[in-house]
Amino acid sequence: MKPNTIRQREQLTGWLLALPALLLLLLVFAYPIGRAFWLSLFTRNLGTELQTVFNGLENYARMLGDGRFWSSLTHSTVFTAISISLELAIGTGIALTLNQAFRGRGLVRTVAILPWALPTAVMALAWAWIFNDQYGIVNDLLLRVGLIDQSITWLGDPVRAMLALVVADVWKTTPFIAVILLAGLQAIPEDLYEAHSIDGANPWQNFVKITLPLLAPQMVIAVLFRFAQAFGAFELILVMTGGGPAGATEMVSLYIYDTVMRYLDFGYGAALIVVTFLILIIAVAIASFLISKTRIDVTGER
Amino acid sequence: MRISKQLQSIKKIPRTLVALIASIAAALFFILPALTQQPVTIKVLIQALEAEQLQPIVEEFEKQNPDINLDIIEAPNETNQVEDLYTSAFLLGESPYDLVYMDIVWVPKFAAAGWLMPLSDRVSQEELEQFLNGDVNGGTYEGELYRMPFRSDVGMLYYRTDWLKQAGYKPPETFDDLVQISQDLQSRDTVEWGYLWQGKQYEGLSAMFVEILEGFGGFWVDPDTLKVGLDQPEAIQGAEFLRSLIKKNISPPGITTYAEPATHRLFINGESVFLRNWPYVYGLALDSPIEGEFAIKEMPHSRQGSSGASQGGWGLGVSANTNHPEEAWRVVEFLSKAETQKEYSLRTGYLPSRRALYTNPELVAKYPYFPELLKVIENSVLRPPIAQYSQTSDILQRYLSAALTGTMSPEEAMNTAARETRAVLEQSK
Amino acid sequence: MAVAPKQSAEGNASKISRKRVILWVSIFLVVVFCLAPVLWQLLTSFKINDAISAVPNVYFPSFDQLTLNHYMAVFTGHPFARYMFNSAFVAFCATILCLATGAPAAYALARLRIPGHRIYVAGVLIVVLFPYVLLFLGLFEVVQAFGIGNNYLALIIPYTGRNLPLTILVMRSFFSQLPKDLEDSAKVDGYNTVQMLIRIVLPMTVPALVTTGILAFIFSWNEYIFALTFVTRETMKTLPVGIAQLGAQTVFEIPYGPIAAATIAGTIPLILLVLFFQRRIVQGLTAGAVKG
Repeated sequence: MKPNTIRQREQLTGWLLALPALLLLLLVFAYPIGRAFWLSLFTRNLGTELQTVFNGLENYARMLGDGRFWSSLTHSTVFTAISISLELAIGTGIALTLNQAFRGRGLVRTVAILPWALPTAVMALAWAWIFNDQYGIVNDLLLRVGLIDQSITWLGDPVRAMLALVVADVWKTTPFIAVILLAGLQAIPEDLYEAHSIDGANPWQNFVKITLPLLAPQMVIAVLFRFAQAFGAFELILVMTGGGPAGATEMVSLYIYDTVMRYLDFGYGAALIVVTFLILIIAVAIASFLISKTRIDVTGER
Repeated sequence: MRISKQLQSIKKIPRTLVALIASIAAALFFILPALTQQPVTIKVLIQALEAEQLQPIVEEFEKQNPDINLDIIEAPNETNQVEDLYTSAFLLGESPYDLVYMDIVWVPKFAAAGWLMPLSDRVSQEELEQFLNGDVNGGTYEGELYRMPFRSDVGMLYYRTDWLKQAGYKPPETFDDLVQISQDLQSRDTVEWGYLWQGKQYEGLSAMFVEILEGFGGFWVDPDTLKVGLDQPEAIQGAEFLRSLIKKNISPPGITTYAEPATHRLFINGESVFLRNWPYVYGLALDSPIEGEFAIKEMPHSRQGSSGASQGGWGLGVSANTNHPEEAWRVVEFLSKAETQKEYSLRTGYLPSRRALYTNPELVAKYPYFPELLKVIENSVLRPPIAQYSQTSDILQRYLSAALTGTMSPEEAMNTAARETRAVLEQSK
Repeated sequence: MAVAPKQSAEGNASKISRKRVILWVSIFLVVVFCLAPVLWQLLTSFKINDAISAVPNVYFPSFDQLTLNHYMAVFTGHPFARYMFNSAFVAFCATILCLATGAPAAYALARLRIPGHRIYVAGVLIVVLFPYVLLFLGLFEVVQAFGIGNNYLALIIPYTGRNLPLTILVMRSFFSQLPKDLEDSAKVDGYNTVQMLIRIVLPMTVPALVTTGILAFIFSWNEYIFALTFVTRETMKTLPVGIAQLGAQTVFEIPYGPIAAATIAGTIPLILLVLFFQRRIVQGLTAGAVKG
């Protein structure tokens, strides 16, 4: 009887310790998402003078025919896919570099995480200035190198604006990927390479045969994190292009924000949130499946 | 026993509460009046540029009304951002603003959301009749006045008198005239471009298209029935007409990225016969190489339609949850007074919203085009005064822009725009 | 290379030096990649307007092309110090609250085997991914309902909640690495769980708390969408929102110099944080992402 009560008391204490955090988590995550699901079944907009009227699945039906929603979804996907691929490539490069032993490594690591730590909204202003069509440094450098013979507009052209956003996002978030991959690299035992190099493998073969597979779990995790963040990217786009020119860089996040805060179309905005949420959850499910797979592969190889 | 004790203790709480409330009430009754001897502060958010221009009026008002402190909070100059700031403030519940300085297209949204105080009881019908119709109508939502007009704005056609006279043309009445004169003058190498308008994807595109719709006898959204007219033949013709201007090289290909400044600069530099723009260009053109060589008139139209001028303008509404409605209203009255508007117009060149001022000798002496302008402004058409205007306008801008840049055919673009607009409006009631 | 076997020692040396060259070139590239935008902004912030709008660009301004006016303009023309205070205050409070609620929860999840802890952890793992934009509508209604718009609480509470998942994950992985004997012997000495936590575990936890605290602080300081939406009063704005607004202030001419100055001034606190706590930030990020 006594051990049991001790155990019970311990559990009770445990719950009491975990409770405040749980309540906050419910308030900040569960409530907003649950509320979005509920509100998405209603019309609450200026047409109803902000009264809430039940409409079933009408919001979702409307979404099917909403060209703006689909194009913003496409923009988000394009932006996310290109950004993450580049970040993964550059991030691996940075991680490999930072994994070497050299003088001043601590300082270089500090420099390398700097972009990640700076406020996105503020750095978006800096990037807008870098891509400025008249005085921007990008145009100046391209002119000096001779790649262009007159200044070009970056943020005023649909494709180039998207490119500028990708560059800014890659700069901002590659450090995050690099840090995670670096941790993965440090966990790879040195003797694996040594055993391999006796077989006469060159560094590239080493990289492909040993480093990449062992790094796969970290890569999937980093990609998952970045996918969620890039899909929700907001201030970078708002500050740099505002979704323009002509809506060419409008992403789902911006459309959601406009629908709620500018159009006051709360029911429809909630439906947009729900759909974006579901896309995210599906991605998480796929990723966790992949992670469980790669873990097995890795241990199998070992 | 215990229960009754508990009950007692519950009963005790209200007593202390009552005491507390009583003392607060006492404080409110005795202390607050003493405090309110000090000037009441009336707050309003206005874009930085105009806040500066209004400063002399604020000083004059405070001199005449020492019990009111008029506090203008500077907002970004981008109209959209001001709208967003007001919107967030009202959504958060306690608006820090007693007055709302409103663009004409915000009125339905703000009124439908219940953020504005109805003003109809405060102004007599006779008083209202002294203001321009478009401005009054634009401040009205579902029969109730929410915004008192302050300054007006309207779209119109600028044309080059010298070239038209040389070639023996009268100012164009119809779109066909406009096209013909343009092409003729362009082919004679008199001028580079025929007609300039605002083709960029932004609110100005909607404002301009309203005139084209009126000119072709079409409509955008009927505010009473919420019927959408964008896929009607007239509207499609309108979009085709604009597209054809670019195709026929009457308007430059870059016009799909031009807002007002880009178009007025070209016109003032003598690179176009016609220009569609707002009155602010008149003052600029008087100060330029084309001085004396241009005039204004109402917009042309097609044979089935009539001339329309897009109505813009700013005015003041009273916030529904202000603690000082009377004081706020006194500010509104002061700004809508004839003297205030006259002084402001003389100083800035903005258009007054009172009809009589357009023939006021002092103003006419400074702005000789005012009487002519009055004719244009009496023809004004509103962008649809519906609550979901900004959403509706964004849809039109998006697809009209697609039609102009050629990524969609005008017919396809207008059909899609109509369909999506209906989807938005269907959810109304 | 072709005659490799004969001069292997020499070949090795050149190989190593070539490797060194590649290494230093990549280090150089990494540093340029990460610093260039900040340096360009730094340079802009000190240049006079004529040098800012000079074409071609001025990379090495002469002495008379330098000025401090942009900084003066930022600090005198805008409540910049106020923005900074707001950001610091909100981020600090959120961080403390986050640690105060997150660390005990993490301990309970790591050690006390409470029923349902698997679901709890799984939930935390999922929500750590949620973008802010999915939450703002619901939170906006919460802010409305409590009437805390334009109040520090409207930011502190969401930031606390938003940083809890990462805190819990990092702290949980820390607690599970802690030797269990210590706690056991503490129990033998008659401490109950809470006493043991405060007297024995907490002192050992300080480094981990600092690590997660820094992450929470940085995230809170940088947050934009909540700060933009839940606060409309000028005096309550945080730094990112205040600075981003500078860009939209005038129609005619964008004040590039002051914007650059504001960027630099607004990022200095973060640059300092990174300088002092680089190692901890890396630790925290990897613990949160990988070990979770």
